[in-house]
Amino acid sequence: MSRWISDEPGEEAALLESLGISSVDELFSDVPKKARMGRIGIGPGMDEPAVVSEIDRVLGRNRPLSRFASFLGGRIRSRYVPAAVDAMLSRSEFYTAYTPYQAEASQGMLRALFEFQSLWVEMTGLDVANASLYDGATAAGEALLFCRRIHDGTRFLVPASLPWEEKSVLRNYASGPNLTVEEIPFDDRTGRLDLEFVRRAVAQKDVFGLLADVPNGFGHLDEGLFDLRPILGDVPFVVSADPLSLAVLEPPATYGADVVVGEGQGFGISPAYGGPLLGLFACRKEHVRAAPGRIVGATQDAVGQRAYALTLVTREQHIRRSRATSNICTNESLMALAFVVYASLVGPRGLAELQRSLAEKARTLAGTLSGIDGLRAPRFDAPYLGEFTVEVTRGTASEFLDRLRRRRILGGHPLTDPRPGASGAPERILVATTEFVGDREIQKYGAAARSAMAAAGRSA
Amino acid sequence: MSFRQARWDEPSLWDLAPPRTPVAAAEVPGVPERFRRKEAIRWPELSEPEVVRHYTRLSQMNFGIDTAPYPLGSCTMKYNPKVSEMLARRPGAADMHPYQPETTAQGSLEFLWKLERLLGKVTGLPEVSLQPSAGAHGEYAAMLMVRAYFRDRGESESRTEVLLPDTAHGTNPASAAMAGYTTREIPSKDGCVDVAALRAAVSARTACFMLTNPNTAGLFESDILEIAEIVHAAGGMLYYDGANLNAILGVTNPGRMGFDVAHLNLHKTFATPHGGGGPGAGVLAAGETLAPYLPVPRIVKAGRKFRLDYDRPRSIGKIRSAYGSAGLDLRAYAFALSHGEEGLKHVARRSVLNSNYVGAKLGRYLPRPFRPLVKHEFVLSGAPLKDRGLRTIDLAKRLLDEGVHAPTVYFPTLVEESLMVELPETESRRELDQFIAAFERAISDTPENLHRAPQHLAVARVDEVRAAREPLLSWKDLRTAGAKAETP
Repeated sequence: MSRWISDEPGEEAALLESLGISSVDELFSDVPKKARMGRIGIGPGMDEPAVVSEIDRVLGRNRPLSRFASFLGGRIRSRYVPAAVDAMLSRSEFYTAYTPYQAEASQGMLRALFEFQSLWVEMTGLDVANASLYDGATAAGEALLFCRRIHDGTRFLVPASLPWEEKSVLRNYASGPNLTVEEIPFDDRTGRLDLEFVRRAVAQKDVFGLLADVPNGFGHLDEGLFDLRPILGDVPFVVSADPLSLAVLEPPATYGADVVVGEGQGFGISPAYGGPLLGLFACRKEHVRAAPGRIVGATQDAVGQRAYALTLVTREQHIRRSRATSNICTNESLMALAFVVYASLVGPRGLAELQRSLAEKARTLAGTLSGIDGLRAPRFDAPYLGEFTVEVTRGTASEFLDRLRRRRILGGHPLTDPRPGASGAPERILVATTEFVGDREIQKYGAAARSAMAAAGRSA
Repeated sequence: MSFRQARWDEPSLWDLAPPRTPVAAAEVPGVPERFRRKEAIRWPELSEPEVVRHYTRLSQMNFGIDTAPYPLGSCTMKYNPKVSEMLARRPGAADMHPYQPETTAQGSLEFLWKLERLLGKVTGLPEVSLQPSAGAHGEYAAMLMVRAYFRDRGESESRTEVLLPDTAHGTNPASAAMAGYTTREIPSKDGCVDVAALRAAVSARTACFMLTNPNTAGLFESDILEIAEIVHAAGGMLYYDGANLNAILGVTNPGRMGFDVAHLNLHKTFATPHGGGGPGAGVLAAGETLAPYLPVPRIVKAGRKFRLDYDRPRSIGKIRSAYGSAGLDLRAYAFALSHGEEGLKHVARRSVLNSNYVGAKLGRYLPRPFRPLVKHEFVLSGAPLKDRGLRTIDLAKRLLDEGVHAPTVYFPTLVEESLMVELPETESRRELDQFIAAFERAISDTPENLHRAPQHLAVARVDEVRAAREPLLSWKDLRTAGAKAETP
């Protein structure tokens, strides 16, 4: 029997005796016979060495990123996690705690979350951040619903270049209240949003919000964002920002964002095949009562010292039930802790320096790939930071990536929606640089790409 | 047990090393001037030891399950096995990108697939997705699946209502509303669903009935088979909120009880750590009717190979990025493997034994509004405390002074001044007896001491009313408030 359940001789008997019963079965007399199940049908339990050995066997079938020169990116990042981040996350007072409902017993986590909120406020230029949402995509979904609470309308505009996963999540969040998600076309050369399309849509008076991402789904920066505020008038403007980019880019509030969401995983959280992740959300103070999620506030205790507590809870599901601003309960507190610990260890200068270094590598990589026949790299003529889009014009993107993989290169990920019947998009891949690739890996990518294209030429 | 929490006068990060402002941000080649950040992020520059001491000190002002029991009803705060933490940090688990080619991620796909099969057996609902990020997220996805199902049947216009008992978790009505449903509460009778009221409420408008079983009063809904029949006869779907599954592992399951779809909380039943408020990990399990609507991708096995399958034309699509929180799923898988068939059954039996034992003992101090036979948790009413000028909150705060966490308070709302107590299987008899003794000391203490509680923690009673009335939600707010205070 498991070491996690006490099994002292006589223990169970004493509990039963205290209850005046002879068997635990009596405690299940309220479960009707017809609803009882037989065996679960799973194997017998295993002791700890056996579990470790079995899971190590399974994990042995994986080939982790470190075995490759990896250029995978997108919203989920492969980035170095300083040992001190994990050391702090491993403090079991943090990771084995529950949601800080009892403020007095939870000042540590409440203060860490207050610092996290403060950091996202500083990074975005907005006023209020919540204590986290599930991930960047659901944060965008919550932002959509938030916009509808503060503005009338039925249409929500998003870039056609937004990653397909996020579009799908947004369409789900929009479907409850019967709202539509409409795609803004982009310029084929630069990837920039068609601002005339936005102007015409807004003029029809039924747009309740617009989301744009920085960098965009192609990895590029769209200066048109600076012209959106006057076009939008009072229509809420959501920016979905990569947190690291904000170390070197203007805070979105300066160009008129009402909401800034983002995926925070890159700050101190391993990619772990997709999660846990971290949804970031900030808005203006006047809209705080429409905001989703938990919020920590500073207050005082009974003797007048500074103390912290979850606040503005009347927005939330446990109080407001069907009229809550969101259904979210459990969020990503520990990941929020990772975010603020990471940023504090690296510091504002370190973050900017990291983003600068990734941007330089990306320029080197683009230079290496740009002359190769069968590739357009970068596909768009627009500024970029640490990643950009490559279009495969000879053969398919998946054939290209396969050929690279055989040379131990993960060359990026396809931007196409993998669902059958999804609109036939061009063969584009997003290529990202990381701290783990340098000149050698970039040269290797270039050589492998050249030979992959030569092979594609032969098989064509 | 005597207890004093650490009480550090620890400054906030920004007061440790006030940042000099404004500092010009670094220039990055190629960034257009308009886009370039003019002032660096206003945040302190600290050394690693300073950051580590800061957060270590903060951690010492926080309760966790590793320090003492956490009798929060409906939260299933059980011990989080260390071996799961160790395994989740293996490079083969942590250093994996969700967009890696499937051929390089066979290990991840294998344990996810195996966990799905296992949870399918535990729930009796064989088709499983691990995509939801938490329980409420799973509820919401399930409501979207129900809607998609009725859309396919041409009934989405007519079936607009979701029914739920008045004891339902707040997330249930909130999730149904987010999915576009109106919600209607079914009154309880003696803590369980009033079957006659349910029968009267179901109609051709009913899309779904959402039920937790055992429910939030800790009672098993013994009429469950009749409830399922009533809902299905009206053409509705039956949804299982798996928050309280711990008590019935291996005894019964949602499939046997007639549910069509369920969510589970791996951070409750399967012992993944709650992280001070998350991350959670939700699970969706569906029977035949709703399985085609599960989110994409699904994991399929062909021979010894696993792959992600996106070819599910009736799927609701995505509800978050990537496949799911694989890092948490691995922890849950390690938990399930360790326990196995008999172990999981023992989990339920011991958790039910624990709560009945403690319920009987605490029933001497406060009334128990419902029948004494409970499952994973029990409810007490703090109403008699009023005779001494006290409320449930005072008792809860006084318990903190004993070094144990307080129970869930003021929920379920149908009980006046309620306390909801859950002590899962990982609490030994010694721990239970210590909790009972702590409860006795707390409730027997003077009204003055209860009002003044807590006195042994990092802070005294926190003024939550003030927090909401004068919101100070960030360092920026504190700076503004400070500047105002300094202006004559």
